[in-house]
Amino acid sequence: MATEATAETPKVELGGRRELTRKGRDRLAGYGLSLPAIALLLVFFLLPIYFIVRFSLGVERFAKTPAAAELTGELSGFSTQLWRDFLGPGLELDILGSATISFPTWVLGVLFIVLVLGAVFGTRLRRYGGWVSATCFVLLLAPFMTIPWGNNLLRVARLSSEADYLRLFFKSVTMATTASVLAVLIAFPIAYFLAFGIKKSKYTWLLIVIAPFLTSYLLRIFAWKLILGDQGIINTAIFETGLRDPDNPLSFLIYSQFTVILVLLYAWVPFIVLPIFIALENLDRRLLEAATDLGASRLTALRKVTLPIAAPGIIAAFLFVFIPSIGEYITPSLVGGTEGYMFGQAIAQQFVGGTLNWQTGSVLSIFLLGVVLFLTLASSKFLRQGGGATA
Amino acid sequence: MDLERSRITRRGFVAMTGAASLGALLAACGQGGSSDSGGATTAAAAGETTAAGATTAASTTAVAAPTFDPASEPDGPIKLFEWVGYDAKEMWAGYTGGEYGTKSPLKFDFLENDQQALAKVASGYNPDIIHPCVAYTKDWNAAGLIQPLDTALLPDYEGIPEAIRTGGMIDGQVYHVAFDIGFSTLTYRADKLPLVQGEESWNVLLDPANKGRISIYSDEVSIIKIGALINEGAIDPNKLTAEQIEASKTTLIEAKPQIRNFWGNQNDAINDFVNGNVWATYTWPDGYYKIKNHPKMKDIDVRYMQPTEGRLAWVCGFVVNATSERPGRSMLAIAAANTPQTGAWLTDAFQYTSAQQAGVTDLIKNKDLITEFELDDPAAFAPPRAWFETPLDNRKDYVEAGSEVKAA
Repeated sequence: MATEATAETPKVELGGRRELTRKGRDRLAGYGLSLPAIALLLVFFLLPIYFIVRFSLGVERFAKTPAAAELTGELSGFSTQLWRDFLGPGLELDILGSATISFPTWVLGVLFIVLVLGAVFGTRLRRYGGWVSATCFVLLLAPFMTIPWGNNLLRVARLSSEADYLRLFFKSVTMATTASVLAVLIAFPIAYFLAFGIKKSKYTWLLIVIAPFLTSYLLRIFAWKLILGDQGIINTAIFETGLRDPDNPLSFLIYSQFTVILVLLYAWVPFIVLPIFIALENLDRRLLEAATDLGASRLTALRKVTLPIAAPGIIAAFLFVFIPSIGEYITPSLVGGTEGYMFGQAIAQQFVGGTLNWQTGSVLSIFLLGVVLFLTLASSKFLRQGGGATA
Repeated sequence: MDLERSRITRRGFVAMTGAASLGALLAACGQGGSSDSGGATTAAAAGETTAAGATTAASTTAVAAPTFDPASEPDGPIKLFEWVGYDAKEMWAGYTGGEYGTKSPLKFDFLENDQQALAKVASGYNPDIIHPCVAYTKDWNAAGLIQPLDTALLPDYEGIPEAIRTGGMIDGQVYHVAFDIGFSTLTYRADKLPLVQGEESWNVLLDPANKGRISIYSDEVSIIKIGALINEGAIDPNKLTAEQIEASKTTLIEAKPQIRNFWGNQNDAINDFVNGNVWATYTWPDGYYKIKNHPKMKDIDVRYMQPTEGRLAWVCGFVVNATSERPGRSMLAIAAANTPQTGAWLTDAFQYTSAQQAGVTDLIKNKDLITEFELDDPAAFAPPRAWFETPLDNRKDYVEAGSEVKAA
């Protein structure tokens, strides 16, 4: 026994050492392979953010000399002034155009964090989890839930601020929320049809749906300008039918919030059909059969089986539209006009436009980045599931 | 020299008189702006700070002009930060076909407006030649971004009326060589746009009957100046107080329902106009001319507004970056753009008035332009009919307020 044990011990040690060495090598290789990605992240994400934060606090400035800084109106030392100017003294919540509630800006920050966390993690509560999550979600969206109506949006509630840029941010959130909700509402039936309505050549149909991606985005926007202009295809057709006078075209079709939302929908709907389609495609059909066998109508089966299972895909789809839309620059620049002016344009104006005040631009950028980052992190489980489904 | 050689016609004489009046006005405004500031002006090249009212006319101060030697400068491209359209080969033919045309070829990048160009170069972008308007020369100099020029390399420099030349001088040295002069006002469809009490006025921006029918330039300073003209009538929009700027901002926010778009590129404004999306748009003379002669505007009464409050107007030209390694060759390129032939080409191609006056009127091919843009009427280039840009001591206030109008 002793001999065996003595004979076995070095074997184990040797094997363990070999194992450790292999594990160490694997770990090293892992780090080595991820180095380019880490370097990219550092150089193109963290480093610029570090400098943008410094700009936003007046530590860095765009102008090379104090005299030039005087001209561009930049600060020359640490200050939180730009942040205070941006956030303004307080906010107003206007409900249905009648009741108005005023409160300090920081309250909205706390509320926003609480509601996002409630919406995401509420379902983990043992009792009323679903209700908590749904209520938080609705409260979060309520100030931004709208439908496009001419040049403007019909609102349930409206967040406003004395500070111009913060007010513009709320307007952009409203437009992005509207575009995202509508995009999901349009994409879901398409994805549903592709997943359940077509038996053959499913992926050919999917390819047809995403075909617009094969042409340039700019080209497509310019095409919309031709279609939606006051003498564009739609208005001309209306004039031809005698429904309207050529002097009185449907002017909200171009240079309005409606136009921006329409073009965003056009751009994003094909894209988000994909994650919803994959979520529906992966659904176990036997569950639907079981629901039907148990007496559920098709609508009940959709509500109680299909939608809950497809929810991660739907939420991922919402975020896929919302996150890029909130900082949109190209679409509103080309078809938004004064009515469709968005937060992304204000940022661009500070960095590359006529205003060129990098410090103010940095404040706007960091704020947008913070909101988007928080939303992304908080909803990462949906993005993972939705993204996983896509993959 | 060129002036003496040229045959001066009656029309040419009147045009020159007009330009001289304009120049005198600009020079007066420039000096006024300087003394108003009461602050110091930094002489960038020398790195010195002088006392209040440092800007003086060159003709009264004897300061040695720098001497550039193009031959000793290294080969390599001359980078120009230009307005769209000014990369036309006709404008630079005298340089590109010359000795340094291949050794130091011209490379173009385009600016959107003066404020952007200033801030971009202040951030470290290093073109050799920049094309700002003369009202910004003090700002460029204060930021240490430009250098005094060797005008001996400009054979036709004397063809620019002295009063206009003086506008580009600081502490007796030439920093800015004027090139183009023009108006900024509304081009409008007389058959569509209802005028307030039948008068041409910036007030059309406030008339709800024009809702969503007007587009204006996205430049923040211009936005505030327009608001001031609406509020105050024919006053100098270059000298607004903080209260007037605030009031102008409020007025323009009130006018936003009428403003369908803030354009950044004049071609967008032209497209919107000819496609019926707007009935009036802020343009420079070439924009008006392109619209008027567009096939879609045939038989339509398109007019270039002469508001009762006055048009906005500008004189722009060339400066050389303080860090340029090729100031001499840059001057040779500027010399190519400063000839009477290029001046006439400028009017024919862009309908602008050339700062170079020597014999230009005779060289202009399309004589109708002289009447159309009142190039022979000095009064058209002076207040209250036109308000030329002059240096702004509180430009950042204009810019901030203009940005807020767009964001509101």
